Amino acid sequence: MSAESRPVTAVLAALQGGARSLAEVAERTGLGRDVVDAAITHLVRLGRLEAEELAIGCPSAGCGGCASGTAEGTAGCRSSAPSTRRSGPVLVALRVSRPPG
Amino acid sequence: MSAAPTPSCHESGAVATAGPDAAVVALAGTPNVGKSSLFNTVTGARRTVGNWPGTTVEVGRGAWDLGGDPARRVTLVDLPGAYSLDAMSPDEEVTRGVVLAQGEEAPSAVVVVTSAAHLARGLYLVAQLRERTIPVVVALTMLDVAQRRGLDTDAAVLADELGCPVVALDPRRRRGGGQLAAAVQAALVRGPLEPRHTPPTSESEPAGDELALADERFSWIARAVERAQRHAGGARRTFSDRVDRWATAPVVGPLLFLAVMWAVFQVTTVVAAPLQDALDSFFAGPVADGADRLLAWVGLGESPVRGFVVDGLIAGVGMLLTFVPLMALMFLLLAVLEDSGYMARAAVVTDRLMGRLGLPGRAFLPLVVGFGCNVPAIAATRILSQARHRLLTALLVPFTSCTARLTVYVLLATTFFPEHAGSVVFAMYLLSIVLVVLVGLLLRGVLWRALGAEPLVLDLPPYQRPTARLSLAVTWLRLKGFLRTASGIIVATVVIVWFLQSVPAPGAAGTFGAVPVEDSVYAAIARSIAPVLAPAGFGEWQTVSALIVGFIAKEAVISSWAQTYALAEPSSEREPGVLGQQLLETFTASSGGHAGVAVLAFMVFLLAYTPCVATLAAQRREIGLRWTAAGVAMQLAVAYVLAVAVFQVGRLLW
Repeated sequence: MSAESRPVTAVLAALQGGARSLAEVAERTGLGRDVVDAAITHLVRLGRLEAEELAIGCPSAGCGGCASGTAEGTAGCRSSAPSTRRSGPVLVALRVSRPPG
Repeated sequence: MSAAPTPSCHESGAVATAGPDAAVVALAGTPNVGKSSLFNTVTGARRTVGNWPGTTVEVGRGAWDLGGDPARRVTLVDLPGAYSLDAMSPDEEVTRGVVLAQGEEAPSAVVVVTSAAHLARGLYLVAQLRERTIPVVVALTMLDVAQRRGLDTDAAVLADELGCPVVALDPRRRRGGGQLAAAVQAALVRGPLEPRHTPPTSESEPAGDELALADERFSWIARAVERAQRHAGGARRTFSDRVDRWATAPVVGPLLFLAVMWAVFQVTTVVAAPLQDALDSFFAGPVADGADRLLAWVGLGESPVRGFVVDGLIAGVGMLLTFVPLMALMFLLLAVLEDSGYMARAAVVTDRLMGRLGLPGRAFLPLVVGFGCNVPAIAATRILSQARHRLLTALLVPFTSCTARLTVYVLLATTFFPEHAGSVVFAMYLLSIVLVVLVGLLLRGVLWRALGAEPLVLDLPPYQRPTARLSLAVTWLRLKGFLRTASGIIVATVVIVWFLQSVPAPGAAGTFGAVPVEDSVYAAIARSIAPVLAPAGFGEWQTVSALIVGFIAKEAVISSWAQTYALAEPSSEREPGVLGQQLLETFTASSGGHAGVAVLAFMVFLLAYTPCVATLAAQRREIGLRWTAAGVAMQLAVAYVLAVAVFQVGRLLW
């Protein structure tokens, strides 16, 4: 399988093969970091990967004071992806989804 | 063709539409790429804003003059941020509805705003649009951000690759608007584009082919990005990449992490030692003497108040304050490591190690937090999605050695192993990690046989020079937090310990406040437990009482010792640094001459048994009373077995 002709499949294979950072995925596939990043975003949208934002505890002001909170002030943690309100870098854990059934 | 459906409300600005017969141009793009800034620039911020019919999604509309001629005025529709035409949110549904509208509703052209800093991400929408005939113009923003990351983007090459016009602009500085208007005007005149590729319709597409479709689009995107974007200087491997080859390597990475942490503790103990001695002399000397004289002057020189103030508050709080330089230095070094980006690498190394041992990969975060304080670490177990992972991690957190325990390690290590204090303290942290791993494996085997590890993918930030302002701010924040917590706990425990030390034990001579400390209730309680700990080499009441106080909070262990020994010895005979000598005598007596081994056993016990009641409260909240109680029993059992083993084996060898 060529990463040039099947980049998304190559990224998924690298993650299934145990790559643990975006740099490692880029190294294994030979793709640019930007393309790897976009391919992972797409795999999350397709449901092939599960993304979960990691945060350390909750702020004393509650979800409304959290950068990961939703626009409505409700909890954004443990959602499928980081809140769109978040502007800084976030730590995200990715898990390859199990096929249904 | 006509204007898009009329928004329902909110008109801002004077002239907001280009008239009912004007062409409609849709402005699309992923969120946060400067779309609204561009809209405001080209329309002069004259817009109507309203909810899209049937939705709560806001859509802006404005008149865009493409070339000074009213006939060239179009209605620009500012669509919500969308990554793709395969809608997954109401925002994307609206974008899809407008862009793919047929007949009179169809827009005449689409401007896709794309960030040069995240080119591939923004081009997915372009890839989909270029499968259709609708004219597309790409507006390239954030070239300055891309350049700071060493990325040079060639708009002309990108246009060749995408088969549509690409205009580089900077909406924040209002540059490039004229070129974009000209490109859109030309696209409107030129009309439909030749599609780059005809995909199967989404309705007929089998679910299994979605990956093939994504591969085709990303292949096209990767080719365009590869040709249009170059790393400045041609250097694809950055400094961070080169360092990370070693810093995150499977064998060298963990060794480097251990070496860095050893250096942190070595520097901390060596550099802080003289400052600590100076503060010790200050509190044991001028401060205690001054308080003595003041109390004598007001007639309280021989009262219980003197014992409380001088031997309790000043001895206890003063002892804590001698650790301020040490804590400040350690917090500063850790803040520098965090700010430099190294801690993110440490996370990768730790995660890999834990993953190999079959522990939940992401549990490293609460465990790392635990090395600061166990209480927020227990709360941080909420990041784990599965209840059994949360339970296991919450049971392991107490084995991470918090900073409150560090003060006791330092006091004992500098007293009993002055030449190797840094290494001894480091060894305690190493043991802490070993305990987490071993107890984790034990619990995993006992509680759940199939506990899967979850992978972790991190995007490592580039290394950077730590900033003094940020490092000092973080240091101050943590030091303040430590002092606030510790001072409150210490004052409270000083009061309780003072009270128990002032009350004569049943059958003992003396009255309240006038009883030798070894005849007090405090000593009597500790003596009743002491025989149990004799096999571990520290079965003296002074040591056991400190462990009882330490169950409430480790911050109070040293203050309770200071209080006990200050009462046992008249203030006139007290000298700075004498606490260490008194501890040496106690441990020598309890261990039959093997004081060094007994101290090591004591430190191991201190590391492994229940951290504090605040941690228990946090555990009760997260995992319930039953598991919290089971955890306490486990901690005491592990602490006792290890301490006895260390002493019994150690005294044979040493």
